[in-house]
Amino acid sequence: MSPMPSLAFGLALTALSLPAMAQEGSALSPRVVNEAAVPAVMAKAVDDFIIPGYRNLSDKTAALAKTSTALCKTPSTASRENAQAAFSELVQAWSTVEIIRLGPALEQNRFERFLFYPDRKSTGLKQVQAILAKKDETATDVASLKGKSVAAQGLGALEYVLYGNGSEVLSNKEGEFRCRYGVAIAQNLDTIANEFLAEWQKPDGIQAAWKKPGPGNPEFRDSKEAATELLGIFVHGVEMVKDQRLKPFYAGTVDGTPDKGHPKSAIYWRSQNTMPSIAANFAGLKTLFKVADMDSLLPEDSRSVAGSANFVFNSVIGISQTIDGPIANAIADDKSRAKLDFLTLNTADLLDRLNRDFGGAIGLGAGFSFADGD
Amino acid sequence: MGATTGLIDRRSFITMAGAAWVATLGARSTFALERTDAVFASAFMAPDGSFGLATLTEAGEIIERTALPARAHGMAYSAASERTVAFARRPGTYAMILSADGSAEPIVIAAAEGRHFYGHGCFSADGRLLYATENDFAGNRGMIGIYDGTRSFARIGEFPTYGIGPHDMTLSADGRMLAIANGGIETHPDFGRTKLNLDHMEPSLTLVDTATGALIQKHTLPADLSRLSTRHVDIGPKGEIWFACQYEGARDDLPPLVGHFSHGEDLAFVSLPESTTAALANYVGAIAVNRNDGLIGLTSPKGGIAVTLDAGTGAVLKQERVIDAAGVAAADHGFAVSSYDGRFKDHQNPVAWDQHIVRLARS
Repeated sequence: MSPMPSLAFGLALTALSLPAMAQEGSALSPRVVNEAAVPAVMAKAVDDFIIPGYRNLSDKTAALAKTSTALCKTPSTASRENAQAAFSELVQAWSTVEIIRLGPALEQNRFERFLFYPDRKSTGLKQVQAILAKKDETATDVASLKGKSVAAQGLGALEYVLYGNGSEVLSNKEGEFRCRYGVAIAQNLDTIANEFLAEWQKPDGIQAAWKKPGPGNPEFRDSKEAATELLGIFVHGVEMVKDQRLKPFYAGTVDGTPDKGHPKSAIYWRSQNTMPSIAANFAGLKTLFKVADMDSLLPEDSRSVAGSANFVFNSVIGISQTIDGPIANAIADDKSRAKLDFLTLNTADLLDRLNRDFGGAIGLGAGFSFADGD
Repeated sequence: MGATTGLIDRRSFITMAGAAWVATLGARSTFALERTDAVFASAFMAPDGSFGLATLTEAGEIIERTALPARAHGMAYSAASERTVAFARRPGTYAMILSADGSAEPIVIAAAEGRHFYGHGCFSADGRLLYATENDFAGNRGMIGIYDGTRSFARIGEFPTYGIGPHDMTLSADGRMLAIANGGIETHPDFGRTKLNLDHMEPSLTLVDTATGALIQKHTLPADLSRLSTRHVDIGPKGEIWFACQYEGARDDLPPLVGHFSHGEDLAFVSLPESTTAALANYVGAIAVNRNDGLIGLTSPKGGIAVTLDAGTGAVLKQERVIDAAGVAAADHGFAVSSYDGRFKDHQNPVAWDQHIVRLARS
């Protein structure tokens, strides 16, 4: 059970005052990357988070392909609900690993093909609606679907197929075309998930580069570069939630005036997966932090930095899980809105802890995102 | 008293910048660029996480600081109009113009609808116009925003950069061309700083006519260097354009990182020793030319190094370890180099210096 927002917020403020950051003139130990600890951390990140995460993703895409095929074969309300449940489980699996936006995810537009968001101009929506209206057969074949716009072949498109206007036809034979399009998307997602897994499982592929930083390595010449990439997952992950997942639908309360909100800009609003997805993003980051032993990169006198980051992880995950139902209702409801305000504040706090406190303490200078040149 | 704003009304500007920051602008005497010993300016982050801009002496001592509403990146100085501009870091939405003699209040301009700043720009030869590299993010094309200094830097037009992801831009020696480093990386503010096209980058260097906006020359890079992002430029002793790159390809490649070209000529890459390319970590963060000494200065925060080249031969004259090396600018002799951990020449300051330094004079 999560604490009430007011209580949890009070605790978060207390945590803020911990002497976590390397301050000028303080007696903390010198801030240099603990190079000896890095390879083990990278190996655990790969073996205990990334590969199991993509394996889970692949399981969930396969399950979705199966349930959506079954839906087409025997359309009914029950089989439609089965497919929807498989979709929600896939969203959970994806939200856990989508924080790994590097390596194979950046190649062949895999990330965007899996999830195209934000879609501010509703490009994807219009394309999906056009495919459904014209009964475009090329969208029902996984090979030709792959060549279509990234916005018409991923989770956003499938959510519309399963939950959007007219989706009730899936419960009977009228939904035959819509259903086959959904199957093609599910198969496409399954293919991409298997590619992620295969790329990371290749013994001489990206995992080898991650585990052994050094000269001749195609990813990292030394352990500091590897540590920078890994910390980047956390900083970019929290930034993504803050700027691309929360802000588009609710900008917070400013000077006592709450943002009126844009519920239809929220990710997965049709399937009510907005908050479950955000909770899974944070849970993925927290799990990675733990299983990779990120705290082993900290000097002894700064171990409290990890504890306070973990505290805020727990509080943002807990509060995200208590906001349920349609996101429009949550924005309109005083109690839920207070939770969203709490979440917004604590997400910014978490970003600062990881970027400045943790980044500084493990020896990445003025903080991670400060040091990315440009 | 407050800031004069070119394109945004005061109300929305205050919302953007924060009232506390605007209040600091009132006392113009607190930030006097007219001090004759003010030789450099650089953006910084203070220990409390706030951002600002400082002037420094030739020796690297801070003279004064002013607060900025958000993190700044590149700067430019005009000797003709004695103005300095600081651009917000990409995808930034503001630029602040300061007058050197303190006679005018700082002017803050906001990015136009559908555009954001990339963090660099320059003044026209007469100092009247300000050019900024900008992103037309819906169209995914680089633009040059043009701002009129005689009208509070109102945006009076734009030219294309003839490439995507422009970053640094400078004025040619004769003042008739803008030299632009189109980094070739697609970004969109909806996705923050995420690089969206690493497997199909389109880096290029272009020369654009300041009078007409016409494309004078465009150099794309060969296919095997498509992941070499051309990012920063400066003008060499003979008017040639020097450029420095950041490589997005495999870490164990040894791509060329620095080169130069002149109007009507092909690109010429400097062939650096492998040890220098490796030491730069395939990433040059800033480049500067010391025209009097005939030297090229390079810094790499990723490699933790500052390198000096002979502008005539490209030979490496000096390679110095500087942890978290940030900016580089021509000094009275050689270069001033700063670092994220507060070093500026031989002085240690309690700030984190940002990636670029501007010299407040044409050397």
